[in-house]
Amino acid sequence: MSFVNDLRIIHKDQAPKLAIALLGVIAIISIYIVGYDQGQLFSLVQGNQAYDAMWIHEFTHDIRHAAGFPCH
Amino acid sequence: MNSYSFIFISLLAGAIAGLILASVNYFVAEPYIDQAIGIEIENTIAAGETVDFNELNTYRVWQKEGTFVAGAFLGVTYGAVLGIVYVIARKYLPSSDDRKKALILAGLICLALYVVPFLKYPANPPAVGDPETIGLRESLYTSFQLISGLIVLGLSVLLIKFKSVNNFKYLIPVFYVGLIGFIYSIFPANPDAITAPMDLVNSFRIATFTTMVMFYIVLGIIFGMMWRKYRPHETTRLTAS
Ligand SMILES: [Zn+2]
Repeated sequence: MSFVNDLRIIHKDQAPKLAIALLGVIAIISIYIVGYDQGQLFSLVQGNQAYDAMWIHEFTHDIRHAAGFPCH
Repeated sequence: MNSYSFIFISLLAGAIAGLILASVNYFVAEPYIDQAIGIEIENTIAAGETVDFNELNTYRVWQKEGTFVAGAFLGVTYGAVLGIVYVIARKYLPSSDDRKKALILAGLICLALYVVPFLKYPANPPAVGDPETIGLRESLYTSFQLISGLIVLGLSVLLIKFKSVNNFKYLIPVFYVGLIGFIYSIFPANPDAITAPMDLVNSFRIATFTTMVMFYIVLGIIFGMMWRKYRPHETTRLTAS
């Protein structure tokens, strides 16, 4: 019985690696959208036109300034 | 460990705090942004270029409405960061109350990723930045943020490792100030000259600094309350007993 308990206790202390990785990926994508995109993301579907429109940049523009990120 | 509720708490706490930030900024920061954009328009007209006011108004509507979506994204980012560090650092954080632990950690993250970078590269309203230097400014800001975060992380690990060494903890603030002073002095300054009125720039900085610090505090409070309610760390302890 103690063997089973040991296993479970080890399991308890384990950091949820998969969840951490998933949150890490989400954090990187969302900070890229808010803080950095200058049209690159939409250019994947829209082509070069996206760099002129910069949809994401316009949407995130005000919070980008307010959160201290460099902007135009 | 319940990974689902852990992810859920991190993202939801972040999104809520981000929406609150956007709502407060709508009243606190937007007036300065509007003012700064007004100056930009005057400059454009003074330079002899034509300004399409219709297009400009459309942009401003997007930008103001977009702030809420963008605020949620920003919140999700820092919610995820807080969640990741919290799940690893929880057992080392002082206090037995998850609400206090979360608030302490949110404060540390705020210091490392916002306050210290702000000292070196304070926020600017529109009308200040030179589009030519955006790449340089982004890499400077991001590396400063990352190094500042790594310093706090490294010193925290040292503090935990050498907990048993007498009086070691009193050295940590000394190391911290020294290291921050060092990176502060070796990083190049923001290359852009400030062309907007300094009054406007300062008011913008004070307003956004206040709302961003508020954002981290709100994030810590919501995250801590949710963690305490859903107790994602406990699922396996129940089966182990
Ligand atoms: Zn801008």
